Amino acid sequence: MDENRFEEIRVHAIGAIERTTSSSGLYEVKVSILGKHGKVSELMREMGKLSKEDRPLFGKRVNELKEELEAAFSAKEEQLKRQEWEERVQSEELDLTLPGPKAFRGRLHPVTLVIQEIVSIFQRLGFSVRTGPLIESDDYNFKALNFPEDHPARDMQDTFFIDEHHVLRTHTSPIQIRTMESEKPPLRILAPGMVFRCDSDMSHLPQFHQIEGLWIDEKVSMANLKGTISFFARTFFDQSVKVRFRPSFFPFTEPSAEVDCSCPRCGGQGCRMCGHSGWIEIAGCGLVHPNVLSYCGIDPKKWQGYAFGLGIERMAIIKYNIEDIRLFMENDLRFLEQFRV
Amino acid sequence: MKISLKWLNEYIDVSNFLSSPHELANRLTHAGLEVEEIQSRRKDYENVLVGEILQKERHPDADRLTVCQVTTGVGIVHQIVCGAKNHNVGDRVALALPGAVLPGNFTIKNSRIRGVDSGGMLCSEKELGLADESEGIIILDRKMALGQPLAEAMGLDDVTFELKVTPNRSDCLSHYGLAREISCLLGVALRTSFRPAKTSNLSTREKMGLDVREVRHCPRYAGAFVSGVKIGESPEWLRSRLNSIGMKSINNVVDVTNFVMMELGQPLHAFDAAFLKDSKIIVELSKNQEKFVTLDGTELTLTGEELVIRDGAKPVALAGVIGSLNSGVREETVDLFIESAYFLPSTVRRTSRKFGIETDSAYRFARGVDPEGVLRALDRACELICEVAGGEIFKDPYDVYPSPFVQEKIVISLSFVEERLGYKIEEELFTTWMKRMGCKVHQDVGSQLFEVVPPPYRVDLALAEDLVEEFGRLNGYENIPEVLPESKGEPQRDQLTFLLEGEVSRLAREMGYAQAINYSFVSATMHEPILQSKESLKRAGLGWEASHPIALRNPLNEDLTEMRLSLLPGLIHNVVHNFRHGNLCGRLFEVGLVVDKPEDQGDYRHFRRLALIAWGNEVGLWSSQGEVPLVFDVKTALGDILKSMGGARLQWNKEGVAPSFLHPGQWSHLKYENRNIGILGKLHPEFSERLKIKTECVVAEINLDLLFVGMPRAVKAAPIGKFPGVERDIAFVVPNTISAGMVQEAIQKAGGKLLRRVDIFDTFKSDDLGNDRRSLAYRLFYQDFEKTMTEDQISALQKEVIDRVCQKFSIAVR
Repeated sequence: MDENRFEEIRVHAIGAIERTTSSSGLYEVKVSILGKHGKVSELMREMGKLSKEDRPLFGKRVNELKEELEAAFSAKEEQLKRQEWEERVQSEELDLTLPGPKAFRGRLHPVTLVIQEIVSIFQRLGFSVRTGPLIESDDYNFKALNFPEDHPARDMQDTFFIDEHHVLRTHTSPIQIRTMESEKPPLRILAPGMVFRCDSDMSHLPQFHQIEGLWIDEKVSMANLKGTISFFARTFFDQSVKVRFRPSFFPFTEPSAEVDCSCPRCGGQGCRMCGHSGWIEIAGCGLVHPNVLSYCGIDPKKWQGYAFGLGIERMAIIKYNIEDIRLFMENDLRFLEQFRV
Repeated sequence: MKISLKWLNEYIDVSNFLSSPHELANRLTHAGLEVEEIQSRRKDYENVLVGEILQKERHPDADRLTVCQVTTGVGIVHQIVCGAKNHNVGDRVALALPGAVLPGNFTIKNSRIRGVDSGGMLCSEKELGLADESEGIIILDRKMALGQPLAEAMGLDDVTFELKVTPNRSDCLSHYGLAREISCLLGVALRTSFRPAKTSNLSTREKMGLDVREVRHCPRYAGAFVSGVKIGESPEWLRSRLNSIGMKSINNVVDVTNFVMMELGQPLHAFDAAFLKDSKIIVELSKNQEKFVTLDGTELTLTGEELVIRDGAKPVALAGVIGSLNSGVREETVDLFIESAYFLPSTVRRTSRKFGIETDSAYRFARGVDPEGVLRALDRACELICEVAGGEIFKDPYDVYPSPFVQEKIVISLSFVEERLGYKIEEELFTTWMKRMGCKVHQDVGSQLFEVVPPPYRVDLALAEDLVEEFGRLNGYENIPEVLPESKGEPQRDQLTFLLEGEVSRLAREMGYAQAINYSFVSATMHEPILQSKESLKRAGLGWEASHPIALRNPLNEDLTEMRLSLLPGLIHNVVHNFRHGNLCGRLFEVGLVVDKPEDQGDYRHFRRLALIAWGNEVGLWSSQGEVPLVFDVKTALGDILKSMGGARLQWNKEGVAPSFLHPGQWSHLKYENRNIGILGKLHPEFSERLKIKTECVVAEINLDLLFVGMPRAVKAAPIGKFPGVERDIAFVVPNTISAGMVQEAIQKAGGKLLRRVDIFDTFKSDDLGNDRRSLAYRLFYQDFEKTMTEDQISALQKEVIDRVCQKFSIAVR
């Protein structure tokens, strides 16, 4: 047995492995040593020339060499792979202080958010939503709501006229009428929508949104109305908010009230938003006038009801601290994108 | 209306509130008479006192200035440097001390003027806001007490309320009326000092003729003749009363009529009797085409519907609204006919609105004056006229009142009130408030019912419900408890369109679009590109019938004149705004209504729309990648929204010409289940350049009414298949006239249901292909949910697809 040949192959192989710098190079070396025609296989083939007695020992020595070299290859392979991954990830380094691409933030308009929230609050009391047209006949917008023709109550709302008998609805109350005409009591409905007033200044837009609530049942009182609005104000603003009623006048309710809630911004201490009064007006309401019920074919002796109306923009102003009403109509992304939900 | 507390004090003691007006204001506000503003002149003159000049010397360093020692009481002396010339030792002066804030927000401080300390200022009338111009400082009456606040000393300590009187409370449109209300609220008695006027032996009825021909429009007409007046300036007390509520003094007679209107709420009119032809007054409707010149010189053409007051020849007043130019009181006037009437509220309002003439008189008549107060006001006016302008009142005033007003009784039970207010009420409390309000209350022995007769000036009270409100308000709304109601009814479903609109909005938000809400009206300029494209939009399912948009009769301004027929003008306007304000790219959507009215039939029709708009590219500034044109972004968003709504079969194709505002090469109709429901396209570059949108801008609009048909669609989960699928690619060489979508559709059709997906993954042009052809490469995905497909089966299918597509378009595989 030629000890030197074993040693020669071993030294050559180990040297070649050490010198290799890439996985692909290592593979070539591996083929030249351990491959079908590699040096170790050559050695193996020489075993045939040996005597029977020498063969086992020789075979054992070859296997030992093969195992040793395979282990060396594996170790080197592992090392090279690690090295190569490292190099690759290093080359892929990014400066993450650079900004990412512009993300378009989908948003709902604050008016929609407020409507959705109000609807979800009143849904807990069993209310459901109804809507109606923007152009209303004089009958629906005024007459049915107990505004007689040539009555000064009509001056309370600056009206956009479309033709002799049609207006842009000045409130969402016509939806009450439409519902009472087409559905039977008991009723619990909410009517959100766009309304129009021929008026524009720092605190008035000619187009804004209201939500109207109507509850018709056999026994409905001002106490019920106060309970409902109080529940709403506490849920919408803050649990600590208090509600007070002030007498007022609307042709379609009797008694009528305007609703103030303790200012959610300052907790009633007085701030700019509440005009330093600690109270802020949020709604108009009252018990449905018997003339309105009769007009809709509902017997006022059997049924009673309450109705209330809230200004959506006003709610949004209070809730989101919006200082300029023009923002509602400009649709500026810098404004809209703030309303994350 | 403006209310002066000092004036009010004539009829009820409110002197305590002069120093704490908020208390009274609060009480009124919580009784339904909202005090919107409190103006206190007392506050204007805080720290301004009556002083006396003890010593006056020349300023050592300035010839024009004097140094005065001014006392405001024993032992208190202030050194003041003064620039006036008209003051002398011993004069009483108005001294503003440090802390005073004079009109015009002028704050007084301690100062040093050319080396001499000055502890305040001696004021002129101008500086006190008492005159527009004045010379020198004001020298006060010697009788004024030293150290007294100037406001008190000069009677400038009045407080005025701006009172918001709701249309039902015409009884509170006067000082006496409000005093009556306060008397009820506070339980304090009124001071009534009206006494009948002294009359001469001459008779009004002999001097003047009166014929009321329209009793329906004029239920009561009274008038008296006053002879020998001398027109001139009103006395100080009268001028100051009118000034205190912001009314200008005109002359003594007119001032009296205004004063009585603001005192009692009854508008009056004084005619110069010399102008009344035939010494006759007729109350009747106008004649059609009759001319009338108002006292401010406006010529009106009457229509025969207005109630007028006329003499023997001509109309001399629009009843209750305004007098004529040639019948009013002048300097030379000697004899008067004073009118006090009850005109029908709706008659006055109609005339006032028709001509746009708003007067204090029309305002009160339209709301309803006290029909029983007509004579008292006439009497009061005559008496005051004689007092301030001399003359004598003729006896026998006219009072045509054929059917005197009867206040109907209201029958009401306590339980009726309790049921509506929601709390228990003591009988006595109820009757007490009713009586304090001026009602007569009667209850039959053993009956649960009250008969309540309201006072005649409460024309708003007719129903039991009205009394519920009165009791509730007087007793205090704070006594109403909070009780959640209960219902026997079952909650209903929300209106479907509301739910679907909400769903569409949420989906658009998910696609990165922010919601816009625009005006429902637009300007003609904004509308024009839409109107020009009527035919093309109609083909897109976004049509309308009318030849003109619906116009507002009374637009606020020329930017908001007509009802929109599309959501796009508003959104485009928003992009212009955003771009101008530095939002160089963005995505907006709007869900809203547009309105149309077909010419021939009457009904206004509302259509629901969704519109999207995208501008600018989303790629960051430091990198450049993603060259897909913007129009595809919007297409994806819109397609995704529609698919998420459950919509099936969307097709993009264009028919006819593009709307003029869109790029003719980058637009498409959107077909949904074989029906055109919308349009997509990039704004025409010329159009966006004109709007100064210096980036790509893509719009889309769809008809939601068409989309919502049959919605919501229930989700039915489909199997997704457990067996492996296989991908095959094909490329066709296609003439430019055939769209990628047409080829894709044909592939899908040929592949049948086992062809689960077709995606285009490459398109290119080359010299080899020529200018008029391109290569379109598709990836097909086959999958059988029941079993693994065999190679033969797939090859056969693929061959079928290739053959049929090639045959259909006469094209070849590349």
